[in-house]
Amino acid sequence: MKNKIRNFINNGDLRKVRFWIQLASFVLFVYGGYLAINFGSSFPVFTCPYNEDVSATCYLISLQHQLALPTKILFSPAFIPIFIGLLTFLAWFIVLNKAWCGYMCPFGTLQDWITALRKKIGIRFGIYTRDQFEKLSKIKYVFLVIVLLFPLLMGAGVISNNWSATFCQMCPARVISPMFTGDFSQWTIDFSSKTNMVLTALGVSFASLFFVGSFIKKRFFCFFCPMSALHYIFANTSIARFKKDGSKCTRCGDCYAVCDMQIKDIADDVVSTNILRDDCILCLKCVAACPEDDALHFDILNIKVFSSTREGFEKRMNVGLNMKNDGEIDK
Amino acid sequence: MNIETNHHIESPKEKQNRHKAMEAIKLLNTLREDFKAPIESMEYFYDLFERVHCKHESLHDDKTKIGTMCIQIPSEIIYALDGIPIRLCNGFYTDDEIGSDFMPQKACPLIKATVGHFASGNFSDKPDIVFSPTTCDQKTKAGSTIESFGYKFIDVDFPRTKESEASREYWRRSVKQFALELSKFQGKKLTKNNLKDTIKKIGYAQSLYNKLSDFRKNEIVPILGLDVFLITNAFFFDKIDNWIEATQKLINELEIRAKEKISVTGKSSPRIIYTGSPPIFPNYKIPQIIEESDGIIVADETCSSNRMFNDMVAVDEWNIYDMMDSISDKYLKACTCPIFTKNEDRIRRVVQLVKEYKADGVIYQAFAGCTVYEMEQRSVLEAMEKEGIPILYLESDYSPSQGGQLSTRVEAFIESLKTRRRNKK
Repeated sequence: MKNKIRNFINNGDLRKVRFWIQLASFVLFVYGGYLAINFGSSFPVFTCPYNEDVSATCYLISLQHQLALPTKILFSPAFIPIFIGLLTFLAWFIVLNKAWCGYMCPFGTLQDWITALRKKIGIRFGIYTRDQFEKLSKIKYVFLVIVLLFPLLMGAGVISNNWSATFCQMCPARVISPMFTGDFSQWTIDFSSKTNMVLTALGVSFASLFFVGSFIKKRFFCFFCPMSALHYIFANTSIARFKKDGSKCTRCGDCYAVCDMQIKDIADDVVSTNILRDDCILCLKCVAACPEDDALHFDILNIKVFSSTREGFEKRMNVGLNMKNDGEIDK
Repeated sequence: MNIETNHHIESPKEKQNRHKAMEAIKLLNTLREDFKAPIESMEYFYDLFERVHCKHESLHDDKTKIGTMCIQIPSEIIYALDGIPIRLCNGFYTDDEIGSDFMPQKACPLIKATVGHFASGNFSDKPDIVFSPTTCDQKTKAGSTIESFGYKFIDVDFPRTKESEASREYWRRSVKQFALELSKFQGKKLTKNNLKDTIKKIGYAQSLYNKLSDFRKNEIVPILGLDVFLITNAFFFDKIDNWIEATQKLINELEIRAKEKISVTGKSSPRIIYTGSPPIFPNYKIPQIIEESDGIIVADETCSSNRMFNDMVAVDEWNIYDMMDSISDKYLKACTCPIFTKNEDRIRRVVQLVKEYKADGVIYQAFAGCTVYEMEQRSVLEAMEKEGIPILYLESDYSPSQGGQLSTRVEAFIESLKTRRRNKK
């Protein structure tokens, strides 16, 4: 019985499963407000409250507001709610680890839909060279520093209130998320001060770039996402793990070929057992594309939930003895 | 009867054919008759080799034949461009002797035989163009010799390190260049659909091979290692559809044999992983000694067999360049050829095969003259010792003599494996 369930999952069509999970979570998080659902304000994905109908609030906005409290208050018992905020964030996070990005984040899902559109039109996706990749991949940490540092400076009185929620002012999700409910009002530049003007101008440009970028590059924004960086810092606290058994890997590179984030280690690193990298969105496409039994697996509480198998590979790639038909469905 | 008119002096070509036919039929007869519980469906392969190597029948008369010198030239692309890949690595002692005139005395017999084959120009399916990845020194340099015989011979740049990103890019470019040249030669354009179809076709063959290998994981092994080498060697030149059909049939038969628990081995035959210089028909000297000495080869790590089939191509979107890149990566990154600077991948692979196929020991063969395999012997032996896996290292060549000494060593090794197994119990 146990084996039957395991085979069923390992042979499953990940693409379909992912599509439906992403669609469901998109609806739930973006429109859940209509049904008075509320998951609180420490959510580990870009559920942006500038769209008033979201059912949860992105932790980054809460975190920025909390850290912006006057320094004196910050180091008083008022610290406790902030701490609880962090714990709540972690409580959400540890369940799924970075799979929040690959399955739950509405902003990630939106990019996947744009990718699907490009695919339908038949345009090839873009890739970064290794050099570009290495440089760009650091930007998310710069954004994370902005998220953490500017509110603290504001609280300490070093910078003015115009810097409130600095990152949010620049964030493309602030501009784009309200559009889901027909609100285009964020596509404006705030001229109330020089700071606001610069930050909101950046926000609008990032939002435009978001559409262009994610049309060309799969998961374009995720490379730069400070939430992804924050996730990675806590990745080892999660009950969900992404593992590799290097002894079973032949480095054929299939996983690398399908990786939206161009993570090279997934194919080349045969030493690490924990193969989660900072750019990873745990979409598990690599596991689905790995033809070696158990070389890659996604574990929850050390139980293999989804493992690579040759049979599953053949079913999903629609090749070999486990082919579904003559190979026509996977255009 | 008029004796004079029947008198006929054998031409060099006829002599070569006769000698090769003798080599071939000797092995085929051994395979047909000397082992217990022969497999009926193997007859297709025995017959195929007999037709090609004894009767010198041509299989691909009407098609353009694309010669390849190593496994790194992607068959997917050749088929997509309407060519027939013919892998020209050669295992005949007769050709080895001819090639000796063109190569240094201590050169690798495989390359000597390949050069000898080209020198004679005596092919049942003569290649119209030859693509040679620049793998080992000897093959790389042999290219210019072969070209001097008047063949259209094209080098395909292959990197000798595979860890760096530069090597990945370099090889991807080489494969694109290769596809361009072949496309020009064939006067045909490589299209998305053609390439996708042939990836699936090769994938199907790979899948069959893997299925076949699964039977060898069983405790009761239903097929000889020798037979599997023959099957994989047939993939060098056979019509792919025929190969697929025959292998499919064989698998069906193995399924029945597995159910009926028909074994090709003795009760306690040690299970062997074979690695090193590739056994290429009809040079099955070492595998034959192993399986005649009550060993059974359950898996191999060689470029004439496992390495050709194991790794399948995956892509995210079926765009032509992504297919090309994924194909390229497979042929470089997953390759465990000893020409690479470092080769921990090969060691990991052998260890993994030992575990997966529950092998008792490893036999490592290097052709005398195959410097890279000879050199790598040290690190592989060391690694096996660390893992506690018994290993025997042998040097051999294509000459029909030398058998006695080799079989003594192999027999002793196999006996020691049996003792080891008994002691474990």
